[in-house]
Amino acid sequence: MSVSDTNLASAPRRANRSSESVARKVARNVGVPVLSIVLLLVVWQAIVVGFHVAPYIAPRPYQAVLAVTQNWSTLWPLVLGTIRETVYGFVAGAALGISLGVIMAKVPVLQRLVYPVLVLSQAVPIIALAAPLVLILGFSVTPKVVIVAWIVFFPVTVNVLDGLSHVDQDLVNLARVYGAPRWRTFVQIEVPATATPLFSGLKIGATYAVTGAIIGELAASDGSSLALYQEHANTNLNTAAVYGTTMLMTVIGISWFLLVVGAEVFATPWQRRTVARRSWRRVADQSEGDSAR
Amino acid sequence: MSASAILELRDVGKVFGDTVALEPTTLSIEEGSFVAIVGPSGCGKSTLFNVIAGLLEPDGGEVRLHDRPVTGATGHVGYMLQKDLLVPWRTVEDNITMAKRLTGRVSSAHRAEARRVARQYGLGDFLRHYPSALSGGMRQRVAFMRTLVTHQPLLLLDEPFGALDAQTRLEMQQWLLQVWKDTERTVLFITHDVDESIFLSDRVLVMSPRPGRVVADFVNPLARPRTVDTLTEPDFVVLKARIMHLLHGGTP
Amino acid sequence: MRFRRFASLATAAALGAGSLVLGAAASSAATKTITFAYDFPGPDFELTPVVVAQDLGYFKAAGLKVNVSFPPDTSSTTKLLATGSADIGFLTTTDMGVAVNAGAPMLSVANYSMRNNWALFAKPGTKLTPGNLTAALRGKRIFSYGDTWTESMLPFVLRFAKLTNQQVKIVTAPTGNDLTDLLAGKVDISTSTTNYEIPGFQDSGTKGREVQLLGTKVGAPDIPVWVYAVTRSYAASHGATVKAFLSAVKKATVWAAANPVKAAADFSRAYPKSGYTNAYNLEGWKLTIPFLTNAHHQYFTQTNAQWSTLAHALKSINLISKVPAPSTYYTNKFLP
Repeated sequence: MSVSDTNLASAPRRANRSSESVARKVARNVGVPVLSIVLLLVVWQAIVVGFHVAPYIAPRPYQAVLAVTQNWSTLWPLVLGTIRETVYGFVAGAALGISLGVIMAKVPVLQRLVYPVLVLSQAVPIIALAAPLVLILGFSVTPKVVIVAWIVFFPVTVNVLDGLSHVDQDLVNLARVYGAPRWRTFVQIEVPATATPLFSGLKIGATYAVTGAIIGELAASDGSSLALYQEHANTNLNTAAVYGTTMLMTVIGISWFLLVVGAEVFATPWQRRTVARRSWRRVADQSEGDSAR
Repeated sequence: MSASAILELRDVGKVFGDTVALEPTTLSIEEGSFVAIVGPSGCGKSTLFNVIAGLLEPDGGEVRLHDRPVTGATGHVGYMLQKDLLVPWRTVEDNITMAKRLTGRVSSAHRAEARRVARQYGLGDFLRHYPSALSGGMRQRVAFMRTLVTHQPLLLLDEPFGALDAQTRLEMQQWLLQVWKDTERTVLFITHDVDESIFLSDRVLVMSPRPGRVVADFVNPLARPRTVDTLTEPDFVVLKARIMHLLHGGTP
Repeated sequence: MRFRRFASLATAAALGAGSLVLGAAASSAATKTITFAYDFPGPDFELTPVVVAQDLGYFKAAGLKVNVSFPPDTSSTTKLLATGSADIGFLTTTDMGVAVNAGAPMLSVANYSMRNNWALFAKPGTKLTPGNLTAALRGKRIFSYGDTWTESMLPFVLRFAKLTNQQVKIVTAPTGNDLTDLLAGKVDISTSTTNYEIPGFQDSGTKGREVQLLGTKVGAPDIPVWVYAVTRSYAASHGATVKAFLSAVKKATVWAAANPVKAAADFSRAYPKSGYTNAYNLEGWKLTIPFLTNAHHQYFTQTNAQWSTLAHALKSINLISKVPAPSTYYTNKFLP
């Protein structure tokens, strides 16, 4: 009996992206953002030149860039320091956020108990938190990491909790009917079902992570840091360096965000692909299956 | 019990608060048969399924499968709902082997079987596709294959075609009968569509609500194989009239 | 500059946000409205002369209505002046040094204080002397707000102690609190001007006077810390206004120096939410008074020597690229 053909024909194909030329893809995904940034720089240059703005009030864009490139040997270790604080804090915050989200989803009593405290933690102005943290933790990298983690964990927790409590219960029941143990249901069903909200939380956290590191650096550093470099530039009316370091901080922030987006693309291929990527296992099985046929 | 019964219910009932979801029910299902259960919403169809599947512990009575007590235990039936419940993060192949992944290891033999079944029933070109790329009918077929490869002799299908359009539905019904014939399973099939219940089954159980209970048990006299013409045969019309009468408040 | 600070920077910014309008009701046709920009995001007792000039009607008599505004951060007063958002500003002399070096056409029109009262402070119970400075600093944590003044003075102290930057640990905390960190043992040495730090010790129930060591005793140049400044173009076009302002403020300064209790109470009344106690304001103002006049008991008067010393000092630590003529920085022609 052949009823299948009509169905196959009517299968809704997604827009076939592989047919889109690579050039067009690059143009859309890279070209447009770059163009908008270039446009921003042009407008900036036009305003500064057109209104005769003094360089100590606002620099020309190229001056800001020069302030970075000419001092790169000084700035590079500071950038690495900020990246280190951001990454450590982000990883710690994400781990804490995921753990809290899972625990709260699994133990409703704990959820009612802990949730208000979490909300409270985010109502505290992070700047007001920085000074006491320094008093407790000193001037090392630790208070910066704590501030970043403090900012990152919350959206992760909320999203993981939300994701886990919205897992399709019919699916969980189906796993039970199959006789699946709870931990396997958790790993195979609940965890992947929470991937999308988890990454939403991580992306929110990623956008604020660098800000947290900078706030921490401003609160106190023994030695130099990117925020202090900027602060010195500011007090010395070196506005070009102030803008330059701001651009650097922004680049760090965007890079980290894009890295998280990249991780999401890699970890959740079903979000944007029709067909799974080829893996070694599958290739091997496929050929074995084909020859058996 | 009769020697060929695969499933037996003995005085199985379930009450939720003040609502009698299922009156104590006794029922015997013959091995290899296709039994349709038809009734309006709230008649206890799904409660009955959940008790058989082990998701619900009945208030009393016993569920026996192959003459072994399985009351309140899971892992002994195939189960499928109107929602296909395919996981979006797995390919068609991996969705088909899902039960194995949830209970143990998926071996290459399991994957080979999944591919064989998919090819046999027209989904061979979609093994590495994600479910989002499939139509409703295709998804439902994948869900059914997933149920099949559990190798459970008893399949509980709860309105599996309820969400499909009429054309696709008819195709799926014919397809299901084909697979049922090929694989020699026992099927319990819930539907609220009387035509569907008669078209597919050897036997139709009619249920009614408040309290949920089985009010009639018809043997389906229609010959197999069944085609579109079956829908207009006199026996079909007669059986349909009797069922409709019951569903609209009549007495047996 | 920011070596005052009891209320944290964030709190100060919140409290100081907006501006206070001082001066005559704008009824008189002759009244001129000007904006005075302070150097810190929130008000504190160094504003006392301006508050007194308002309360005793000196501004009104001079035909002025004065709005006091507070910059968003401690480095913005120069920019407020340069963009015309403020007319007359309050700056440190080191801020003047870097501003002129960066090409900002700033002109100092009067000294606020005459000498350098910047000092090092150690933990209560210890003693800091020129003799034990090297031992007291070596390997120790020294607090800095990262402001131009501290950054300018520290090198001289280290040079005096024969220590390199690597032999001490300078902790920079723009939004931190030097005194809290010192009392909590998080740093070994805090740096600040005496008029701000000693009342802070007093408020916390400890004594700062005994643990202070004036910077000028250990190599720091003895130059004025604060000045009143305008842009060169404002000075050229609004000379009479500048003169009227300085005249009113000078009268108020003299009166406030003679009547510190009343003057401090005036300030406390004008800024009840400043975050400081009246006791702090009074003690701070009293400690400021001795530094307001020079050896000849003059207020406001600037000298070539002070600006030359400043420029050479800043050049010697590479904070500015070249030493300009003293007249680049200041003029005394608007003095009352």
